[in-house]
Amino acid sequence: MTRNKVVPLDQLSEWIPDGSLVGLGGAWLSNHPMAAVRQLVRDGRQGLHFAETMGSMDIDLLVGAEVASAVTFSMVSLEAFGLPPHFRRAVENGEITITELTGLALNTAFEAASRNIPFLPMASLGLSEVPKRQPNWYASIKDPFGGGDLLAIKALTPDVALLHVRRASPNGDCQYDGPMAIDPEMSRAARRLVVTAEEIVSQDVIEANPHMTKIPGFLVDAVIEAPFGAHPLTHVPCYGLDAWELRDYAAAANDRAAWPAYLERLRTETEEDYRARVLPPERARVVRNLARAGRALEVSAS
Amino acid sequence: MSYRIDELMICRIAREVDDSGVTVLGSFTPLAYASYMLAKMTHAPDAPLIGYNAIGMRPVELSLTGAEAAAYKGAAAHWTFIENTQTVHLGGRGLVECVSPAQMDGTGAFNTSVIGDYDRPKVRLPGGTGSPEVVQNYEKIIAYFGTHSKRTLVEKVDFATGGRYPVSPEARRERGLLVGPVRIITPLAVLIKEHDNEDFRIETLHPGIAVSEVVENTGFALTVPEDIPTTEVPSEEQLDLLRNLIDPFGTSQFDFLDSRARASYIDDILRREWDRAEALPDE
Repeated sequence: MTRNKVVPLDQLSEWIPDGSLVGLGGAWLSNHPMAAVRQLVRDGRQGLHFAETMGSMDIDLLVGAEVASAVTFSMVSLEAFGLPPHFRRAVENGEITITELTGLALNTAFEAASRNIPFLPMASLGLSEVPKRQPNWYASIKDPFGGGDLLAIKALTPDVALLHVRRASPNGDCQYDGPMAIDPEMSRAARRLVVTAEEIVSQDVIEANPHMTKIPGFLVDAVIEAPFGAHPLTHVPCYGLDAWELRDYAAAANDRAAWPAYLERLRTETEEDYRARVLPPERARVVRNLARAGRALEVSAS
Repeated sequence: MSYRIDELMICRIAREVDDSGVTVLGSFTPLAYASYMLAKMTHAPDAPLIGYNAIGMRPVELSLTGAEAAAYKGAAAHWTFIENTQTVHLGGRGLVECVSPAQMDGTGAFNTSVIGDYDRPKVRLPGGTGSPEVVQNYEKIIAYFGTHSKRTLVEKVDFATGGRYPVSPEARRERGLLVGPVRIITPLAVLIKEHDNEDFRIETLHPGIAVSEVVENTGFALTVPEDIPTTEVPSEEQLDLLRNLIDPFGTSQFDFLDSRARASYIDDILRREWDRAEALPDE
């Protein structure tokens, strides 16, 4: 018998004490744990600190709902869909604390945490002013074996990480079949780990394809079933970008008058309500098909 | 065949891509993506390409909702970003990467962080993700801009998110860094910096562009050679591949539109992408 770590989404907050530093999975417009993010909004959480290399709507929504009071990041962007409205406004008005690190340094900080060491060295960064701006995270060191200057990057250990995976067993073995950003490394850096999964499957299904298991169950504290758990962002190969919902979000986030109602609806509906409202069957079908419609091209040397 | 300026820029960037190193799709830079795909579809079919976690991906059709999914359809391997960036970016295997910053100055420093004061910015920009490490470590760096003006090519960046130093070949070799220049490509010209103690030089002018137009719209000093070649124009084969296979939705025009034009352009692309996905038969 394996342990059953499955809990409902509405118990998520029990794993996240007040003041926690929360690492988020995914990157760009891909595979952020959006169902978990929505639950933190529903739960009226405040004052949490989030860390993520490449955030997008996840960070912006957490800032807009005042869940996040601090963000450690190397990028927050809605890409083609504009600057992230809440994040931008909150930084410009000094409403949140930010720590901007360079992307590979932030990844290195997670890597150091996963190895249980205080820092890892990295090559120097040329003209970048970021290391000077962030002396708590970057320090200039000498190669102890006689070489030149290096940067030491301090370990960053999330209290808890939230990741969204393709499938997980009740024991917490997690598989990916597409983008995984730095989720596997993040899973090793955090003190606790809660995963949402598109589906929960039996251990037999995991064992049929162990090469797809990127996070073994012994790292996982809780497993939550969350179909369309990255929506409106992508979870390849299950669904592509629901750009229409993302644009509706950006429009509401850019409109002071519209935002309170948008937020109130999100706070008062369950995740099932959310799916029923935003993803009626025909819409869900199209969003799934977007992942199939994208074409890889044949290379033929001319 | 007549061409758009973004198409000329794509074809110029594509020339830098070959199979001598690894090219990685960075954060939303559609013009660069089109260049990499074009290279693989023409002179560099064996150029190793990485997008998202897809290693050795095939060239893909660009779109706003499905290009990421397409990258996984021909991948040879799936690596995490840390496996990829430690191996390629920090491991000295990166060939060419494009950045699309808000500002760049004559030192090669670029800004993707803030307009105005860092602590109380007028505009908070997205940030650089791995571009500071990429620009420092890759062989060839290209910064591209949708407009060539003193607001983008500035005397001094408001904040240096990153910037290559050193640039000079001897100094890079000494430190074990890959040797290559920093280029800037705009709708007017290609600029190149090959040494720390030299200014950017006008490498080529696009057809019909005068030296004065480039110099007057650049916020830092330029070296202007006596004879400046003209940037090569796209061939019919390249235009055909771009318009019909690589970028049928026209995503590469994104950086050349103002915010109002962008909204209707995105509307149009999304309508076409929706219609195609809706029409797909069920599996």
